[in-house]
Amino acid sequence: MAVDAALPSPVPLTILVADDDAGSRRIVAGMLRKAGYEVIQAENGAQAWALLQRADGPQLAILDWMMPELDGTEVCRRVRAVPTDTPAYLILLTSRGRSVDIVEGLKAGANDHVTKPADEGELLARVQVGARVVHLQHALADRVARLEEALRNVQQLQGLLPICSYCKRIRDDRNYWQQVESYITHHADVQFSHSCCPDCYERVVKPELDALEASDGDT
Amino acid sequence: MSGLPVLDHATLDRLRELNEPGEPDIVIEVLTLFLEDAPARVAAVAAAQAAGDARGLERAAHGLKGSAGNIGALRLQALCHRIEDLGRLEEAGDPMVVLSLHEEFETLRQEVTRLL
Repeated sequence: MAVDAALPSPVPLTILVADDDAGSRRIVAGMLRKAGYEVIQAENGAQAWALLQRADGPQLAILDWMMPELDGTEVCRRVRAVPTDTPAYLILLTSRGRSVDIVEGLKAGANDHVTKPADEGELLARVQVGARVVHLQHALADRVARLEEALRNVQQLQGLLPICSYCKRIRDDRNYWQQVESYITHHADVQFSHSCCPDCYERVVKPELDALEASDGDT
Repeated sequence: MSGLPVLDHATLDRLRELNEPGEPDIVIEVLTLFLEDAPARVAAVAAAQAAGDARGLERAAHGLKGSAGNIGALRLQALCHRIEDLGRLEEAGDPMVVLSLHEEFETLRQEVTRLL
């Protein structure tokens, strides 16, 4: 089937194609590269599992069901057993089209399946769904990390702060007395820009300026 | 099964659409890979049948079925599907299926070789 020209262009993604059949790998990789994806390949389940465990490993994998050393379903189980905020999106590629097989694949941890021989349009449409899920997961994980960081900063400012009634300095955890701005700058992502409020100008600054002016007049 | 073509040229035409400028012809590549890979898969089917290994027969036939499907070898694909079912049903004892497989593969091999 020809690929639908209206499909959006793919988001940048490296895709693992794992299949012991070199011809099948060549065809699927060709479909993906033509659509603009970067492709890496594995010729058995053990290689696929090794690549998926890497910190910089692929975030989307197309796994043949029956492979030497580790079947695609076993690779799915192993990937799902590892807790992570950004799990890989797994598509099983199989000529086992019976619903009982599809259910088994999904229960093993696959996100989706494509029937062999792969139809180009269907494969790319399913890969695009996977790419969207992967990017949403990464955006969500990034947002959660930022929120956790912000929460840690807020928690540092919570609780009872011992403050001097006269000079307004704050006692920190190590029993040192710090200026308010120094304490807050250290415990939160805040920087102070020093200025003077109107009351303090009248009470402190203006008398000093007047005194300075008077002393200049005397000389 | 006799109504099916040995090699479906529409499948090969679809594969040809994947060709990229300056790259080797994907059809030639895939057919060459098939001829390199398939004899071992045929032998695996024969060995499983000879050993009465139904699970092995199902697995080997399944693999060869996928390879055949990639290049549009529809008759071989259908035969492998039948053998896979025999294995699933624990019926690994019929040597005629292996004979048919060898004949079908030889016919296909000759047609593929003509294209290379």
